[in-house]
Amino acid sequence: MNWLPRKTVVVPIDFSEDSFTAMDVAGEMVDEPSGLHVVHVLPVLEPQDPGVIWNQVDNESRSRHAADAMQKELAARGHEGVQVAIRFGNPGHEIAHYAEEVGAELIVASSHGRSGLSHLLIGSVAERIVRWAKCPVLVLKK
Amino acid sequence: MRSRPRPIAVILSLLLVGFLVAVTWRATAQEDAKAGPAEAAEPAQKKEQPEWEKNVDKFFGDYLVSPFMKVLFFDFWTSRWLFPEVVPEVKCPKCGTKFNTIETWGDSPSRVEMCPECGEGKIVTTKGTKVPMIVFWLLIGAIFFTLRMGFINFRAFRHAIRLIRGDYDNPEETGEVSHFQALASALSATIGLGNIAGVAIAVGTGGPGAIFWMIVAGLLGMSSKFAECSLSQMYRDVAPDGTISGGPMHYLREGLKDLSTKLGPLGSVLAVLFALLCIGGSFGGGCTFQIVQSLGAVREGAPWLDKYPWIYGVVMAVMVGIVIIGGIRRIAATAEKIVPLMCIVYVATTIYILIVNYAQIGDAFRAIFAGAFTPVGIKGGILGVMVVGIRRASFSNEAGIGSAAIAHAAAKTEEPIREGIVASLGPFIDTVIICTMTGLAIIITGVAGSHPGLVTENRGAALTVEAFRTVNPWFPYILYVAVVLFAYSTMISWSYYGERCWSHLFGRRTAIAYKLLFLVFIVLGSVVTATKILDFSDLMILAMAFPNILGVMMLSGKIKEKLDDYWGRYKSGEMQPYRK
Repeated sequence: MNWLPRKTVVVPIDFSEDSFTAMDVAGEMVDEPSGLHVVHVLPVLEPQDPGVIWNQVDNESRSRHAADAMQKELAARGHEGVQVAIRFGNPGHEIAHYAEEVGAELIVASSHGRSGLSHLLIGSVAERIVRWAKCPVLVLKK
Repeated sequence: MRSRPRPIAVILSLLLVGFLVAVTWRATAQEDAKAGPAEAAEPAQKKEQPEWEKNVDKFFGDYLVSPFMKVLFFDFWTSRWLFPEVVPEVKCPKCGTKFNTIETWGDSPSRVEMCPECGEGKIVTTKGTKVPMIVFWLLIGAIFFTLRMGFINFRAFRHAIRLIRGDYDNPEETGEVSHFQALASALSATIGLGNIAGVAIAVGTGGPGAIFWMIVAGLLGMSSKFAECSLSQMYRDVAPDGTISGGPMHYLREGLKDLSTKLGPLGSVLAVLFALLCIGGSFGGGCTFQIVQSLGAVREGAPWLDKYPWIYGVVMAVMVGIVIIGGIRRIAATAEKIVPLMCIVYVATTIYILIVNYAQIGDAFRAIFAGAFTPVGIKGGILGVMVVGIRRASFSNEAGIGSAAIAHAAAKTEEPIREGIVASLGPFIDTVIICTMTGLAIIITGVAGSHPGLVTENRGAALTVEAFRTVNPWFPYILYVAVVLFAYSTMISWSYYGERCWSHLFGRRTAIAYKLLFLVFIVLGSVVTATKILDFSDLMILAMAFPNILGVMMLSGKIKEKLDDYWGRYKSGEMQPYRK
């Protein structure tokens, strides 16, 4: 692994403070801001959700809302000109898949550092990215 | 939305259904071997139970269910001092003298039936009336919220009607669905077999007077529903993608933390307790109760189901499974959208029954009022009737239980109070209209007296079928359709409540385990007896009121503050309808 600036770096963001810290780290590792690919993974809605039942919420509207919210949040933190992608499904899997799609050279992910029971049940998205990713993954531990 | 279900989910559900078919096949084969009637099914199963199953059963009974029951159904020792029934004059069998009995209090209430003339007679020891703590708690909560919110159940009624008509719907506000859609979603969970079977059980065990107390509980419950649904809007989470999550597990934790940092841990405990009980409730009243009672009704029209009840369970499990695991949205959406229409058809049918029997309407109302205050021959006297009425009303409209707050959180509004007012219509529609209509149909046709077997077996839906049959031999078929549809939509909605609570506790990734368990309970509901399910369902659903009402009471000051502000703006004309 060399330390020269990379062309494409993927940063998964779940709107938590920790995940935005990963943006700062990734920013230093990429040669241009446009090489930064931010991905946010949304859960698949339950078919019994009132919004789904009444046809008021679909993936298109959710995707739009989430992308808008992401652009706003990134602009407020001074990250301009980065790529934003919204995916649906299992976070670990989708992030690894997205990195492959854009030909990422590196994934920079933050870890929530959950432990004990909630780690066992919820697990760590970072762990699953490492398991499925085909490129190097930098996990920022708290 | 994903275009097709995940293969792993399909394989798992197929495996599960296969397993369930095998298990139930074995169970029914054993029943058949005994070739007994429906009542014999239970002992037959017990006899064949392997040792390990008995141990598991005993463990659950001794360490889980009975401690739970002791607390929830704790009766304040009322069984020692409340007389089970008011006994009128007794006639001496020997000399024919009429005399009044004397009541005494010992370890348990006794009645001395001694003839003053000839000395013939005996002392009768009876079990007294139990006033379960949870029923008391639901009533206290409903009265408290009614008083604290200044009779919001009555004064906001007209405003509520305008709200569901959409006069105040602003499409730009945060949320997922309109006021009407949120109410319809919440109602699809509450309108179920509780309205058809539960009412029949209430009339069967509590007499006509139970209907009076059901209506009272329904009217007071409107305030509980208002309070919990307002709170659920106040403390909902709006995700970056615009989707909403809310409900008691959110407002108990966030609300109490907001009230004082010292209350934070209590809020977290109540939230977890609520979520656990809601998962249990979804398996009980939200699933098995629906199956066992709808099966009881459908059996009347399809007697071959008596022999193979599990077929009904498996069919329902597959129908629910393709929605909650397979992700087929269209079916769930259609079922839930038909519910309001089906309610109208159901009420219209009961009105027809009343019209045909118009001569008895006056007598029926007299029986309801007389039975409410001076019940004759009913276990527990007036208190017994009250307990039955309130218990069945709460089970049906879920006011104070907190479940509907999960659905109402999704409404599109910036005014939490507004959704609370909309939600308060729920118990009115569910209990004051639909339950009362069922009750009147049962009282007027007199089926509770003519079918005592169905009453003792708690087969309420079957009793309603009989009431419908007295008017027109084709009417039961309307009921079969209504019953299956209500059961289905209630299960779909409750599986959503349960799944929300499960994901809140264990994360979304493990939600598949919950969904599979839900399907197991559907099949279980078709093979277990009705009375067992009734107890289990009551226990789990009513228990949700403990953490919920406690938390909502503590937060009532915050609701009152918002309500006063909202009502002030509404009355002063500052708040104008979006659509005039």
